[in-house]
Amino acid sequence: MSGYKETALKESCFRPGSTLCPGCMESVAFQNVGRVSDNGKKTIFTIGTSCAEVSTLAFPNVVAWGRGDRAPDDFAKSFSILHNVFESAPTLAEAVRDVADSLESCGALKSPVQVMAASGDGGAFAIGLRALLHTIHRRTRVTIMVLVNEIFANTGFQYSPATMPFAETSTTPTGPDFPGNPQMPLDYIHLAIAAGAGLVAQVSPAHGKLFMKTVERAIECPTTAVLFVPAPCISGWKFEDGETVELALLGAQCGVFPAFTWERGKGGKVLDCPREAKDRPGIEEFMARQRRFQHMVKRDPATGKPAVQPGREQAMESLRGWVQENVERLYRLAEMK
Amino acid sequence: MSPESTALPMLHVSTPAGERYETVIDLERVRAAHHPLYRERQTVSADGNVAAALATLQMWRCILYAGFPITPSTKWLETVAVKVAEDAHGIKRVKLLEAEHAVADYLVGAAAACRDLIFPTATSSVGLDHMTETTRSLGASGLGNVMLIDVYRATANFPLCIEGDPSDTFAHRDDGFIQIACRGKQQIYDTILQAPCLGMHPDVMTPTMPGYYGIKDSHRSARLTVEPDREIHEFQDRWIEPCLLPGLINGDTALGNCVTSRFFQGFKLAQKRRLERSLDVLLMIGADFERTFGRPGLAYFDAVGWREAERVDLAVVSMGPDFGTFEALRPAYESRTGLKVAGLAMRLLTPFPREAVRLKLANASVVLVVNQAHHVGRGHLTLDVADALSSLPSPPRIVSAFAGLGGADVSEDTWEAMLDGAREALDGKRTPPWRLYHEGRAL
Repeated sequence: MSGYKETALKESCFRPGSTLCPGCMESVAFQNVGRVSDNGKKTIFTIGTSCAEVSTLAFPNVVAWGRGDRAPDDFAKSFSILHNVFESAPTLAEAVRDVADSLESCGALKSPVQVMAASGDGGAFAIGLRALLHTIHRRTRVTIMVLVNEIFANTGFQYSPATMPFAETSTTPTGPDFPGNPQMPLDYIHLAIAAGAGLVAQVSPAHGKLFMKTVERAIECPTTAVLFVPAPCISGWKFEDGETVELALLGAQCGVFPAFTWERGKGGKVLDCPREAKDRPGIEEFMARQRRFQHMVKRDPATGKPAVQPGREQAMESLRGWVQENVERLYRLAEMK
Repeated sequence: MSPESTALPMLHVSTPAGERYETVIDLERVRAAHHPLYRERQTVSADGNVAAALATLQMWRCILYAGFPITPSTKWLETVAVKVAEDAHGIKRVKLLEAEHAVADYLVGAAAACRDLIFPTATSSVGLDHMTETTRSLGASGLGNVMLIDVYRATANFPLCIEGDPSDTFAHRDDGFIQIACRGKQQIYDTILQAPCLGMHPDVMTPTMPGYYGIKDSHRSARLTVEPDREIHEFQDRWIEPCLLPGLINGDTALGNCVTSRFFQGFKLAQKRRLERSLDVLLMIGADFERTFGRPGLAYFDAVGWREAERVDLAVVSMGPDFGTFEALRPAYESRTGLKVAGLAMRLLTPFPREAVRLKLANASVVLVVNQAHHVGRGHLTLDVADALSSLPSPPRIVSAFAGLGGADVSEDTWEAMLDGAREALDGKRTPPWRLYHEGRAL
C-alpha cells in the first residue's frame, strides 16, 4: 500500500480538458482513481455512455485522459480508454481482461495490464444491471467503478433506480399528491455481494484517505471489485457551488449512502456513520441543501435550521425509516464474510 | 517512470489514432501456441455450423470465442466448445456470456484490446436483433477483426419460426458490416476463411458478417474439404498485416469518442469509403484464394447460364441454397420455353455490387428477383437490383417474387411458377405485381 501523500503526488490519468460541470464529484473521483492507478501497470479504462463519457471524450475537444502531455516512453504509464453503449462498460472490461490474460498465458504479453470500468446509474442499475451482475458473477478480475448520482444526469436528470425516495427528478416531479420519487432505491450493494464480487465498497473522495486506500485494494482484488462512488450532482441535485465534497460527506454520515467497505472472506465495516439514528446528523440538513428536496424541507428564515414542509411530515417519517433500514442493512452486510 | 515500474522505455510510434507501442504484444507467441486441427487436406462430413466452426478453429488469430446459444446457430458454439475442450494445453477459450448483447459488447472490447487477433461469434434472428445497439457501433468502429456469423433465421417472433430465411441479415443492412451470403458447406467454410482478410485489410477495416441459411445449410451435412491449418495461415498472413492503429493494450489511445454533427459527417464518409473499397479488395482476395486452394473464392455473385455478350430473355437474381434448384431445372426450362434464362446467386449483400450487377443484367429483357425475406414492399434484393439498373437508358423490367419465407423449401414447381409469372413481363406490356409463392403457386 502506498502512503496517502505518495499517492497524491502520482500522475493521474485524468487530465484537464473535460467539460464536466465545475464541482462535479466524477472529476474528483477520476483524478484520484487516476493517481492510484499510476502504479507501474498499464491502465485501460472502459466506459459506458454517461456524463463522464460525453464530457471527456468529445471530439474535437481535448481527450481528458492520459498520463503526461504526450505519450509516455514508459509503457506502464500508457493509458487507453474505450467507450461503447450505456450498459457495456463491465463487459468491455471483461473482454479486455480476457484478451490480456490469454496473451499472457502464451507469453505474448509480458507487461501487466489493469482494467477498470466506469458506469453511471443507467449503465449500472437500469439498462446495465444485467451486464454489471454477470461480469461480477463471472468473477472477472476488473475494477468496476459506478458513479452514483441517483439520476440519469447525462440525459437531463431523470429518475434512476438509485434515486433517493421523495427526490424530485425530471421524471418524478412533485405535486400536491406526488412528493417526488415514490420508489425505494435498488439495494445495489447487496446485489453486488450476492452476485459474487470479491470487494464491494461505497465511498466517495469526500473520505479522502479511505477512498484512495479502497481504490488501491480494489485494483489488487483477484476477482471483481465494485466501487460505488456517491457522486453529488451539482446540476441534478441543485445545490450551491463548492458544496460537493461537503454534501458527499454529510450524505454518508447521515446514512443516505454510508461509507462501506467489504471483502469476501473478511467481512466489512460501515465507517463514519453510527448505527443509531440519534448518533448521526439528521437527514434534514443534507436535504435542505438541495433544491430537489425543497418540497420536503425548507430552512426556517429565523433560525436557518431545516424544517419539514407542512403536509410532508408523513413522507419525511417514511424517509427517516428508509435511511435507518439502509444503515441497518449495511451493518448486517458488514457482518457477512 | 513510476517507482514501481520495471519496464524499460519502449519504442512507440504516433498514429492518427494515438500512440502504438511496438513490442508489447508478441504475435509470434500466439501463432506458436496454435495447435493445428488438420495437418493435411481432408474430406470430412460436416453440416454448415460445423464447417463454420472448423474454419474459425483453424485460424491462429482466433483465441477467444464469445457466444450465446440460439437456434439454429447453436451448434457453431457447441462445436467450438468441444474442440477447445479436446485440445490439451491449448490457448483457445470459449467465453459464454449472458445474452447476445453482451456478446456484441464483448466483441468490441476484445477486438479493441488487440486489433491483430480475430474475434468471431455466431448468432441468428432475434439474437442478432438483440445485438443491434452494439452491432451498429461495431460497424462504424473500424474493428475489422470482428466476424459475426449470421445463421439466417426469420426475425419475427409473432409467429416464431426457427427455420432459415435471411430476414435477419436484411434487417441489419445498415449496421455497417460487410455481409456475405453463402450456400453449401464448402462455401461457408471457404468464406469464413477469407472474411477476416477482407475485414482487416487496412483500406477496409470493417467487421464482416458471413451468413448462411439456418436448417437448410446449418443442419444438413455434406462433404467438406478442409485445408491444413498451415496453408490457411499462410493464406491469411498474406492478407492480414499488423494493424497500423493502436489497440487498447499496445496503445495509448481512445476509442469510441462522441462527436458533434459537424464532425460526424467525416466519420460517416470514411465509413462509407471503407465499405466501398471492400468491393475491390474482395475480388483480389477471392482470386488469391482460388489460386491457393483451387476452389472459387469470394465473389459478388455466382453466375449461372450467362453467355458472353448474348441477350438473356429472363434473368433470375436470388441467393441461398434454393438457387441450386433453379440451376438444376434451368436447362430444361430453356428447352421447353425456347427462352434464354440465366441467374445470379448473390454472395455480397453489403455493400451491394451495383456496377457488376448492372453490367451483368444490362442484356436481360426481364429480371426476376426472388426475395426470401419479408419486406414491406417489393423486397430488399429487388430494391438493390432496381437501384443498380436505374442508370441504364432502357433498364429491363423487374419482376418481384417472394418465396422460401420462414425457410420453406423452394421447390421446382415453385421456381417454374415464378419463372412463368415473370414471362408475363416479356411482351413489354405489363409488369406483374409482387407475388408470394409457395408449393408451386402464387398465394
